[in-house]
Amino acid sequence: MDVVTLIWLYILGLVRWLLHEAPLQVINFIRSLPTLIPELLKWLWDFIWFNFKPLAQIIVIPGLAFILLFAMIAVWFERKFLARAMLRIGPYYCGKRSGWLQVIADFLKLFFKEFVIPDDAEKVLFLAAPVLLPTIPALAITLIPFDSNWVLFDAGGLSLPVFLAIAGLAPVIPIFTGWAANNKYTIIGSFRTAYLYISGEIPLVICAAATALLAGSLDLVDIVEAQKPIWFAIPQFIGFLIFFVGLILEAERTPFDVPTAETELVMGWRTEFSGVLFGFTMMAEYLSFLGWTLLFIVLYLGGYLGPSLFGVPLYDHIFWMLLKLAVIVVIIVLIRTVYPRLRLDQTLRLGWNYLMPLSLLNLLMTIILKWGLII
Amino acid sequence: MTEPEIKPEVMRISWGPQHPMSGQTRILIDVDGEVVRRIIADIGFTHRGIEKILENRTFIQGIVPIERMVMADTANIALGYVQAVEEALGIEVPERAKWIRSLICEMGRINSHLYAFGLQVECTGYFPAVFLWTTVDREVLLDLFEKLTGARWSYSFFIPGGVRADLPEGFRDEVRRAVEYLRRRFQDYWDAMVENPLFEMRNRGVGVLSREDAIRLGATGPVLRGSGVDMDVRKDEPYAAYGDLDFKVITEREGDCFARLKVRFHEIEQSLNIMEQIADEIPGGPVRTKVPLFPRSKPGVEALSRVETARGELGVHIFTDGGLKPYRVKINSPTLRNMYVFERLAELNRVLVADLPVILYSIDPWYLDCDR
Repeated sequence: MDVVTLIWLYILGLVRWLLHEAPLQVINFIRSLPTLIPELLKWLWDFIWFNFKPLAQIIVIPGLAFILLFAMIAVWFERKFLARAMLRIGPYYCGKRSGWLQVIADFLKLFFKEFVIPDDAEKVLFLAAPVLLPTIPALAITLIPFDSNWVLFDAGGLSLPVFLAIAGLAPVIPIFTGWAANNKYTIIGSFRTAYLYISGEIPLVICAAATALLAGSLDLVDIVEAQKPIWFAIPQFIGFLIFFVGLILEAERTPFDVPTAETELVMGWRTEFSGVLFGFTMMAEYLSFLGWTLLFIVLYLGGYLGPSLFGVPLYDHIFWMLLKLAVIVVIIVLIRTVYPRLRLDQTLRLGWNYLMPLSLLNLLMTIILKWGLII
Repeated sequence: MTEPEIKPEVMRISWGPQHPMSGQTRILIDVDGEVVRRIIADIGFTHRGIEKILENRTFIQGIVPIERMVMADTANIALGYVQAVEEALGIEVPERAKWIRSLICEMGRINSHLYAFGLQVECTGYFPAVFLWTTVDREVLLDLFEKLTGARWSYSFFIPGGVRADLPEGFRDEVRRAVEYLRRRFQDYWDAMVENPLFEMRNRGVGVLSREDAIRLGATGPVLRGSGVDMDVRKDEPYAAYGDLDFKVITEREGDCFARLKVRFHEIEQSLNIMEQIADEIPGGPVRTKVPLFPRSKPGVEALSRVETARGELGVHIFTDGGLKPYRVKINSPTLRNMYVFERLAELNRVLVADLPVILYSIDPWYLDCDR
């Protein structure tokens, strides 16, 4: 056969297919659409979910937006609340009376201010500190489960130890900074930090170990799930109180803001920071506060679990986590208005003489309880 | 001032004027870790030569510069000077003027004690809530001052021979109302701050000054009375109307910062009682005797007046040479005496860096008063 015949045959075949086969296939395709579209959408959703979930976690929650928004709202609330306690009004003109824009204005001011590096300072360490300081608590926050399948960095069965390990790095930087700034107030402040963290962090770790023991897992998601029958705040009541005190101590909040005591040490280890460097240290303070508070909620207040009304548990959602966070923040700001600062020796006495033995007692009680449950 | 040598084992900090809580003073502290080994107060850092200025003013002009010594307590300071001038020139004061003087002095004392109370509370690390509470409550007194004298702070109201003006109409009722309001507020302070266990922890047993040391070092005012010494010029050598008024001298035995705070607190209550008594029982009559605008002194007269200011005993010693101006005015100010006590406290106690502002503000320093 020659080439022309072949081409004619091909065209004939095409015409036949168009007349006989194609309509049937189109009809079949249209008939299968109701089952196909959901499959297609599911595939698309899986694609987005798989690729964009980490992105959403990094950008929205618990990532950048959440952290910045938390810092903004916490600073705004604290300023407004303290102003009320002081018979003032607080920020008023920026943002229509509520003054919410004031925080942004202050941040911009800090950002565009000239910052001074002291001549005698160790420049690399001095400049590295404000960058590293917010990084460490932010890194720890990535381990927190905001929902059973919403964990940015799922370390599995290691998430609690990894959190504690990362958070344990935090005091190292103030200590170096105090030395690097080469100022007498910063050096006293940094040594105070060293004392304070040792006395505060060990009881915290012991209490966290007790909760892990009770839950039977070191995974934060498992610890939350284990609280379905009852939040650990009740069986672990001593640990709950110790962790609350320790969290204020770790975040350097008011009864224990010894390392940055303003009336004693100007600004403690932060004395020499100015402009945006100071802004970052402030940010770090709020972040470490946020990190420890989230861990506190996960370990003792049931994380993302909703409260159960009359035995019917409510829908578990990130919302509960945020609500609990807001309540704890209000309580801690309230504490700031009604208590003076403790001295360093008094804080250490509190840490070593009371928190430490009590946390060991709590651990012992948990072991006995757990043993009893197994038997 | 020449700075003493630094020992090798300590670090010297210039707890200077830039520090948030230091005020205008400069204090050098030698610290060994957290422990303060030595306190060196730079007395004279804010010297303004008020004694010399007074030599160049006529007797009546001198009232204005001397009030600048302690702005929170101008009434008591001015009274010390005015009484000395009256003694030197032999001027009699009518009875009603004396009562008005006492009234203003007590209001000034409350004003000053409120300031001291707020600062001491702030030093312990409270967010400055209480300081602003006391500032707001002082408004009541400042309004009274304004109504009576025309000025809220430095009123130059006392002049040799009496006071500038009589009480305005309805003023006694306003005093009674202010007393009632302040009593209610002080109950709040007591409940919220003084009975706060953490506040007590920061103040009790800090900066203890025993009775013997207080007498030996020449402490005065609430510092002396906080150490259990019953001494108050208002009782010991009554001036103005204090001889006729009924009040108690407050003492506390402990001698620590908490005791000083409590002394101030109870003194405010006594001052409120005095204000009420004056409002009820003030006698009538003229409020000033005629004194020439430029009174000429007799040569070689010496006059000394002692008054109890909010910070302690103030002595004003005037020498005259027969001219229109005093020949020499020597002022013995309370803060100067208490600052020496403050310097010694680091030797008498174990003082930590954290205690330093609390102790400093428990002696209620006013550096311009100290350096004059």
